[in-house]
Amino acid sequence: MKLKSKTFGITLSFILLMTFNLSAQGLSLSGYARNYTGVLLNDTNNYSILQNTFNLNLEHKQDNVAFKINPLIYQYANEDPVFGIREAYLDIFFNSMDFRIGKQQIIWGKADGVFITDIVSPKNLDEFLLPDFDEIRIGTTSLKANYYHGNSAFELVLIPAFTSTKLAEAPSIWARTPDFPESVEIVNDYSNKTIDQSLENSEAFLKFSGVSSLIDYELMAGYAWDDDPTMYITPEFGVVNGAPGLTKVTLAPEHNRLSILGASTSADVMGYVIRTEAAYYSGKNFSAVNATSLPFDILEKDYIHYLIGTDFSMGETKLSAQFMQEYILDYDDVIVQPEQSNMATFLANRSFINETLTLQLFTYYDITNEDALIRPTISYDLSDGFEILGGANIFMAGINNDYTSYFGYFDDNDMVYLKLKYSF
Amino acid sequence: MKIINTQLRGKTNVRIIGILVIMLFSSMGLYAQTELSGLEIMQKVADRPDGDEMEGTLIMTLVNSRGSERVREIKQYIEDLGSVEKKIMFFVKPADVQNTSFMNWSYDDENANDDQWIYLPALKKVKRISSDSSGDYFMGSDFTYDDLGDRNPADDTHTVLRTEVMDGLDCYIVESVTKDEDYMYSKTVTWVVKDRWYGLKKDFYDEDEDYLKSLTLNSIENINGFWIITGTEMKNEQKNHSTRMEFKNVQIDAGINEANFTERMMKRGL
Repeated sequence: MKLKSKTFGITLSFILLMTFNLSAQGLSLSGYARNYTGVLLNDTNNYSILQNTFNLNLEHKQDNVAFKINPLIYQYANEDPVFGIREAYLDIFFNSMDFRIGKQQIIWGKADGVFITDIVSPKNLDEFLLPDFDEIRIGTTSLKANYYHGNSAFELVLIPAFTSTKLAEAPSIWARTPDFPESVEIVNDYSNKTIDQSLENSEAFLKFSGVSSLIDYELMAGYAWDDDPTMYITPEFGVVNGAPGLTKVTLAPEHNRLSILGASTSADVMGYVIRTEAAYYSGKNFSAVNATSLPFDILEKDYIHYLIGTDFSMGETKLSAQFMQEYILDYDDVIVQPEQSNMATFLANRSFINETLTLQLFTYYDITNEDALIRPTISYDLSDGFEILGGANIFMAGINNDYTSYFGYFDDNDMVYLKLKYSF
Repeated sequence: MKIINTQLRGKTNVRIIGILVIMLFSSMGLYAQTELSGLEIMQKVADRPDGDEMEGTLIMTLVNSRGSERVREIKQYIEDLGSVEKKIMFFVKPADVQNTSFMNWSYDDENANDDQWIYLPALKKVKRISSDSSGDYFMGSDFTYDDLGDRNPADDTHTVLRTEVMDGLDCYIVESVTKDEDYMYSKTVTWVVKDRWYGLKKDFYDEDEDYLKSLTLNSIENINGFWIITGTEMKNEQKNHSTRMEFKNVQIDAGINEANFTERMMKRGL
């Protein structure tokens, strides 16, 4: 949600007034202020981002009820502030049941930085995968009901109104569009992208989970819309430079229904935490090249996405590695995406000086396309709650340096950045 | 060192008198013996009753070489369920770790590793973490996770070096040499108060057998008939860094719901 000018001022005033009034009644107030500056390492040396953020968490609990509201303000250089609500929900607690109603982020699964069974909350990819994970998540208005029995729990999530993953759009440096010759006119058609808000268009997810000394587990099922739209591309042909050729394409993103079954586990095996996660998606759309109806077609296939990973320590260094594979069932050779796509992640983290200085390296490596995103960071706690973090995002081009290459496509977007964050 | 004996009330009086009688006979037995072995002394320390349930607020003050302080505040609940001891911690301060929680299940079975989970509010996820991290320092303090737990006396070879009076109390000085070559401490030396079986001081030596750090007792309180350590200080001589630890608002056997030690409560918080 974005509000500007007068509406923004009124809303902010209301929230601040409410904060001061309620602080005397046990309102918990926390949050952070942050400056985030990034510079591209290409020839332009343009700023990739100049952002100031104010994030506020207002919470109140009493006996068996609670509420939370998380307003935030993003202010970009020379632009009006953008006001949003990340979460706003009510909690009702019973002996064996909890209900949470309102706008909320819901995170499932055991994988880190990968979305396999973690598909309840859509993503905001305005800045690709670079923001903190709570900023990538889009809260959706949902009903979440939990029933507990010992260390096991059932969780039911109903989302009445579908929210799509938010993709970066031109002229953002994070926009990703198919490449066509300059002579081709590109028309965007969003008429089929919006899902009507109706009961039959709702999404439902169910999870059974538990923790034990042997293993932690989650079993999930979902009936949902694909958060990532399928891009229907309609070509028009005419005369180009005196010869027949492609003159116009219409890009029409559209979401389709998915059924998902999944599971994830986590267990400590002799000092190594072993994590697994897998999901079966029924009815996923894939782009395909079709020789008879140039240039693209859409095929519906089932596919499997799974992961195995481990966390362990080597001395004082924390290490984590994950391998994941996407496999399209009943594969057709005209599908653009390979039958199987393999990816790996690697994390190393070590703290120094009584945990005031931390070095970290996180890497995504696409084994299939041989492209990568490398993210080294160094952070220092100047004092409690005040962190200075410097880092780099290095994109490595792979063998397919086109829009099908997930990281290599942004090869020109290498950057360094600095974040100053004050938490309160 | 501060010793506080809080008011004893109601029904607990009978039990406490019983405990005191047992302690008295234990003491008589002790003096009747010519000598206690190091293992027997450290076993008495490990077996010292401290209640089945405990809750309170842990305040850690980290002091660096320049004297500047950083404060961590944690609300902690512990319940001994017989074969397993469950602990859950809710981080209150500093602000950037607020609402983080940590849960540990520790088993009597020597062959069973602890189970540990951490809830990170930014990720909104409970993550199992490796129990192999017992040598890690806790929240940047001078205490390792292992320092905060109960070490099994059978893991070390104990020798009584001498007896000595410290702070007016008779103490055994016990040297404990690890049987595990990979353990982070080559040995420790503990000043154990006779009859009460708590340590007044403990020196730690690193893997190279160099003096590393020293733990001293700042305060101990008798709460509901149990001697509960409520104040300690760990000073790391090699880093010239120290951590004061205070345990406030301590309640013993006040009735903790076992449902507190679940993933549900880690997410829900205080």
